[in-house]
Amino acid sequence: MKRLQLQRWSSSVLSSRARTGGRLQRHLYSSNRFQSTASNPLPSESDLAGEQSTASSGSTPFLKFTKRQLPSPPVQAARESAKLAALHARLYLPSRLPLETLARCLVDASADPDPQFNNTSLALLGNDLLSNYISEHIVCTYPRLPLTVIFAAVYAYIGPKTLAAMVREWGVEHAAFPGGEVDPGLLQFKRVAPGTDISAEPIRGTTRPNEDQTTWRRSITSSVVYDNEYGDPVMAPKPPADPSGSSPQPPVTAEQASCSLVRAVMGAIYLHAGRLAAKRFFEQHILSRHLNLSELFNFSQPVRDLARLCARENYEQPVAKIISETGRKSRHPVFVVGIYSGKDKLGEGVGGSLVEARSRAAVAALKGWYLYSPLEVRVPSSTEEPGAAPWKPVYVDLGEVIV
Amino acid sequence: MPLKGIRTVTAARNGVGAFILQCKRLDFHYCDWAGSSRGMVSFLKHSLPAFAKENPQIEIRVSPRPHKHPVIKGHYINGREKAVCVRNLEPEQILQKANLLKEASGEKLKRTKKPVTSINESVRGIWSPYHGDLRTI
Repeated sequence: MKRLQLQRWSSSVLSSRARTGGRLQRHLYSSNRFQSTASNPLPSESDLAGEQSTASSGSTPFLKFTKRQLPSPPVQAARESAKLAALHARLYLPSRLPLETLARCLVDASADPDPQFNNTSLALLGNDLLSNYISEHIVCTYPRLPLTVIFAAVYAYIGPKTLAAMVREWGVEHAAFPGGEVDPGLLQFKRVAPGTDISAEPIRGTTRPNEDQTTWRRSITSSVVYDNEYGDPVMAPKPPADPSGSSPQPPVTAEQASCSLVRAVMGAIYLHAGRLAAKRFFEQHILSRHLNLSELFNFSQPVRDLARLCARENYEQPVAKIISETGRKSRHPVFVVGIYSGKDKLGEGVGGSLVEARSRAAVAALKGWYLYSPLEVRVPSSTEEPGAAPWKPVYVDLGEVIV
Repeated sequence: MPLKGIRTVTAARNGVGAFILQCKRLDFHYCDWAGSSRGMVSFLKHSLPAFAKENPQIEIRVSPRPHKHPVIKGHYINGREKAVCVRNLEPEQILQKANLLKEASGEKLKRTKKPVTSINESVRGIWSPYHGDLRTI
């Protein structure tokens, strides 16, 4: 087995075919790539037959000749890959999404800088769809959520860590190195060299003005304007050095490549199978994941926040009362404290001291307020379907308490 | 900042939305010469195409393994693999073994004492000694 592989490597390194990388030849091969792209999903029967006959007659040896020089697998290889077909079936992708496009989704920009053969455009569309669907779902289901928690919830559903976990759970394997001879069913990207410190330097070149003033306060409301859907800074678009878009891209981590795969699959489904299929894919693969929203809150001064909230909503001032206690003079006392506004109990908490129990009770009261959810939730994108009922405005809250 | 959001990751619930079959690849190894592979060769010739068509989500590889007993190997999404030796078995028995590998989750076999587990919190709540009709002694 080892000897076989050695022969294969040696042939690729030593043979005269592989070394003929002249400028003119490369130009010829690159123009040859444009013969077919993935965006032509359903050719007619006669077209298929014609293509096959030409492929079998003339272009097969040529294809073998150029395969190792291509940065990503050729389009024709998608039909021959068992891995790719299995992935298509495993994800229940609609049959209108062709294997060629799925193969294109698996090619990251770092593997193939050509925008006609990598997944950048599909991932861009898919990311917009994902963030649109998830943010409308969160905002309509929980209209009172504070903005920081909305950002955290969006991050939990479609953040890079979640998307990378999804790719792992889909059973997508990573190619060791991208290339034309690689199976198109593998995720292809150029890896960051091991030992590279990714978050070493501060982020520069964002869209936010005065980004070098690190001591200036960055309000959470300004993230709506300047930052992305998770509240992270957005990098300003750089003018491409090469107008054809084929300049080599920097290497990426496996997490980034996985993100672009999920987003690209979403975008590809939207393009090939339409809005309904994209929405179904979103519901089945992303919305069905479990997230406990009440664990996303991190209060620093819950008692003060609750007092301000009651003042804003014209409730009576909250009063903490002991409901029951045990072992006050022992080593492990337990206090059960309720917070009351007039006669209404807003929340209840248990703690080892009176202060702890009171703050827990305040947290429970605040969560009860912020996690309000209307009974019948409808999202704006549900009106896009033909024959849908007209849109009725949803409940809009004043927002979180500003302290 | 008075209130911060905590970043977490959503937990997958396979089967709540889409169900992803955990077996991603089945390798069939056979020997052309040895008698213990007779059933396996017949299985590969007659039943495997139908099995592959029924399970498009599994990648199937067939490769010879000369002078060895026939083996089916399942590769799973969690990274583990399971191998079943199918020497001297009939094609129907081999199909049963292939189905067994297909339906497995890839985890090590464990005795399940509590068949139902849930990440949802209890609807009823947990009994508390500090609530209700408290009696003092």
